[in-house]
Amino acid sequence: MFYKTLMVAALFMSAVTIQAQDCNLELKGIVKDFHDGAPLSFAQLYIQEIQKTVSTAADGSYRIPDLCAGTYTVIVTHYDCKTQTLKITVDKNTIKDVLLEHHINNLQEIEIIADVHDDHKNSQSSTRITQNTINDFSGATLGDALATVQGVTALKTGNSVVKPVIHGLYGSRVAIVNDGLRQQDQEWGVEHSPNIDLNTASNIQVIKGATALRYGGDAIGGTIVIEPERIIAKDTVKGRVVSQLQSNARGGSISGSINNYRESGWYQQATLTYKKLGDFEAPDYVLSNTGNQTYAANFAVGFHKFEYGASIKYSYYNTELGILRASHIGNAADLVRSINSGEPTVINDFTYDIDPPKQMVEHHGIQANAYKRIQGLGKLEIDYSFQFNNRLEFDIRRGENAGKASLDLDLTTHTLAAYFFLDSMEDFEMEFGVDGLYQINSPNPDTGIRRLIPDYNSQKLGWFFSLNHNLNEQWLLDAGFRYDHYNIDATKFYQTSRWEGLGYDQQFPQFEIGEQGNQILTNPEFRYDLFAFSAGAKYFADDHYDFAINLSSANRAPNPSELYSDGLHHALATIELGQLDLNKEQSYKLNLVAHAVHGSLDVEVNPFVNLVNDYIQLIPTGLESTTRGAFPVYQYEQIDAVLAGVDLGLNWDVFTRNSRDAQSIEMLRWNSRFSYIYGQNKTAEEPLITMPPIQFSNELVWSQGVFKNLDLKLSNQTILKQTRFPDNDYAVDVPDDQGNFSTQVVNISESPAAYSLWNLGAGYAFAKAKINLRVNNLFNTNYRNYLNRQRFYADDIGRDVQIQFIYNF
Amino acid sequence: MRYQILKIAITTVLYCVLVSCSDNDVPQLINEEELITTVEYTLTNDTDATNVVVYKSVDADGSGPEAPTLMTTGTLLANSTYSGTIRFLNESVAPAENITEEVQEESSEHEVFYATSIAGIAITKTDTDSDGNLLGLRTALKTEAPGNGNLTIVLRHEPIKPNDNTLSGAAGETDAQVVYSLIIQ
Repeated sequence: MFYKTLMVAALFMSAVTIQAQDCNLELKGIVKDFHDGAPLSFAQLYIQEIQKTVSTAADGSYRIPDLCAGTYTVIVTHYDCKTQTLKITVDKNTIKDVLLEHHINNLQEIEIIADVHDDHKNSQSSTRITQNTINDFSGATLGDALATVQGVTALKTGNSVVKPVIHGLYGSRVAIVNDGLRQQDQEWGVEHSPNIDLNTASNIQVIKGATALRYGGDAIGGTIVIEPERIIAKDTVKGRVVSQLQSNARGGSISGSINNYRESGWYQQATLTYKKLGDFEAPDYVLSNTGNQTYAANFAVGFHKFEYGASIKYSYYNTELGILRASHIGNAADLVRSINSGEPTVINDFTYDIDPPKQMVEHHGIQANAYKRIQGLGKLEIDYSFQFNNRLEFDIRRGENAGKASLDLDLTTHTLAAYFFLDSMEDFEMEFGVDGLYQINSPNPDTGIRRLIPDYNSQKLGWFFSLNHNLNEQWLLDAGFRYDHYNIDATKFYQTSRWEGLGYDQQFPQFEIGEQGNQILTNPEFRYDLFAFSAGAKYFADDHYDFAINLSSANRAPNPSELYSDGLHHALATIELGQLDLNKEQSYKLNLVAHAVHGSLDVEVNPFVNLVNDYIQLIPTGLESTTRGAFPVYQYEQIDAVLAGVDLGLNWDVFTRNSRDAQSIEMLRWNSRFSYIYGQNKTAEEPLITMPPIQFSNELVWSQGVFKNLDLKLSNQTILKQTRFPDNDYAVDVPDDQGNFSTQVVNISESPAAYSLWNLGAGYAFAKAKINLRVNNLFNTNYRNYLNRQRFYADDIGRDVQIQFIYNF
Repeated sequence: MRYQILKIAITTVLYCVLVSCSDNDVPQLINEEELITTVEYTLTNDTDATNVVVYKSVDADGSGPEAPTLMTTGTLLANSTYSGTIRFLNESVAPAENITEEVQEESSEHEVFYATSIAGIAITKTDTDSDGNLLGLRTALKTEAPGNGNLTIVLRHEPIKPNDNTLSGAAGETDAQVVYSLIIQ
């Protein structure tokens, strides 16, 4: 390995620059991995005719300036791959992206495409997050990294519970697929973040629609596909250590991975991560009890050959997340007090301790996979996975129950799937698959609190078929269909007064088993037939433009929370009620993607519209009084919704030039993202709740500028005020000190003011290591985020200085 | 090795299909022990032990849809001094759970607040917690002229202690909040 680096360095040093007069053409592009589009750094391009070698930067880009017109022989090498030779004709400034095949056993080893678009295989709208971005967020969460994609926002509870929102939809409407395995971790909850260690990801693809039918047809928001480190078919050991320290929350994280690959096909992979953070701090106060601690481990062992292979993987994730102390409140009158006071009602000194309210979540995943290629036909794949998720939530409790969990759910999921991928035909690719899921939820009765989610068993059986067709050089067509049969069988105690109050004794007498005290045991069981369909076309106009259109239709069955939940929710002082007679949701989504590459400018525009009939939403239905005081009641109801918007992404190399020593390319790049979404409840003709506000994100990156291997970054994120929100404010009687009651409005609807955050970063690469220094929220701005449930109680976090060290070997 | 793995996988699937899938036990009933269904404020006339007034609020279904019901027994007399005791009960379980004992045990983390709109009524807390701060499980209530109005009683968990003896100054979270209507004769 060291020898190779030396050789690369030697090649690099011996590069000859030829400054021919009248020869000012430029050849540039990006070298990427053929499979996942991840940019390959340190790839060598040797131009035989001029005996010049250039190497790709961290983002995979290369640039060969000062070429004369003519045809060149370019030899592309990368340490994981075989040397490849290309003939490239340069008669004007030319962009040539190179796709390198890592798995040298596989079919095509190298392919040249004419633009930099991410996904050429179909018409769906998708964006990929690369290893560099993932590294930037090594100490944060998956949701934070995903929010760097236009059209994706983070729905937060504080700073540790972060859920991805795709085009305004989240939770059960977004599927998260980790290494081919659909994550089953009680994703229905707003306060449940994905139990995935971001550091195991090599790259992440965000698909903004229900087009990834292989992973289920119910992801009407979109699918997030997390891919691990690829497998290399040669004798090598690779690894990486990423460690990070941060000033805000006074903690950090360390993650190490090691991968052993053998030419024989055997490989082993391991990743370990530990993260510890104390209380976060807003500009003016400590956010008490917001610390967290996470352990994660991933192991894989397998045998990988072109014709057949198998693997077994185990992943473990364990996290303890503090919830802002001030957000645990008694009743609606307490909520008024919290909102009106403008700062948290409990502010203690900084601590690493995590007390109730808190969450402790554990996730185990075991996955076995085998595949076999059938000559002249395609590839057959079988997957089995087992997932076990335990979620504990702790409230502030009294007496002997103090320190005991209020919620203790065990979710066990088995999945078995078989796929057949047919790729032997020239212009067609087809995939057929069947899969089955069996899931058991068992809440622990020892909590002494009535179960939020009941005991249930559910089964899902589905099949899908999808087809890609390359009509000609310009046109690509795709279509897919999926059917699932879903069954959920719950056993639940209702309070008899609630059961009758909702009229279920009239509507569902068949579910009643018997009464015990003032509770009634019921067996609500439901079946749903779910259909999904996707069709699209992509048109490559010329080297500079391509356009895609995709129409998808999908069904989502109501999740257990929407059907069965009933109880008091301490975070917002609400009584939340499920609804047994919910229908499946029906979504129709149209995505358009227009993409242009002109010289140093790369622009993508993605307008979309999503019509969701029977959209399930919590609607306030009134106020109920208890011995604790009054609470607003929210019930899941169905409305017709429309979500429409546009995402914009732009990358512009403002200038590029050879640095003074002519060994590297100095570059100033502007990255810009914008997203807008309009959400309307068509039934009540009012805005949808929790729609991400308009946001702009801009970043200037100056690479190799001041001196070699130094990158400087200045970025700004501006979030406008969400002006469209439904008015769910309600009035509640608040007792005063004179024994009177004053009626006060609980202002829970109004969105926070617009804000703008500045971040500064510097990165320096040397040998195989890199040091990054970042300052987030540079000006220590006070702000509150509409999509953060903590906004009712406290400001968001203030300035954070981070230092990160990355070492690759 | 590969066959071993396959065997384990198949065994696990079979286990699921044959054992857990047929497992459909009736879940255990949960009666919430911490629930406060009942707040009972008893006033005993200091000069006449037979003059006992009881104010009671009962919410049998806890967080269920039914509102608490209020009951009053006895007559509150003008120009008198009463000793008050408050009890918090969970009557949804049998036998009823006395939550007051827990409040007493964790006295430094609790306080009961009394506020009334009736002029002339003075309520003073006569007990203290383990730190010597006011607790409010025992009170003295003085009446003056006849009249009527409301008495609000609030049990706060983890309030600021000591505090200015007002609800607004005490913070913490509300564990119980009841309003009785008082008639002084």
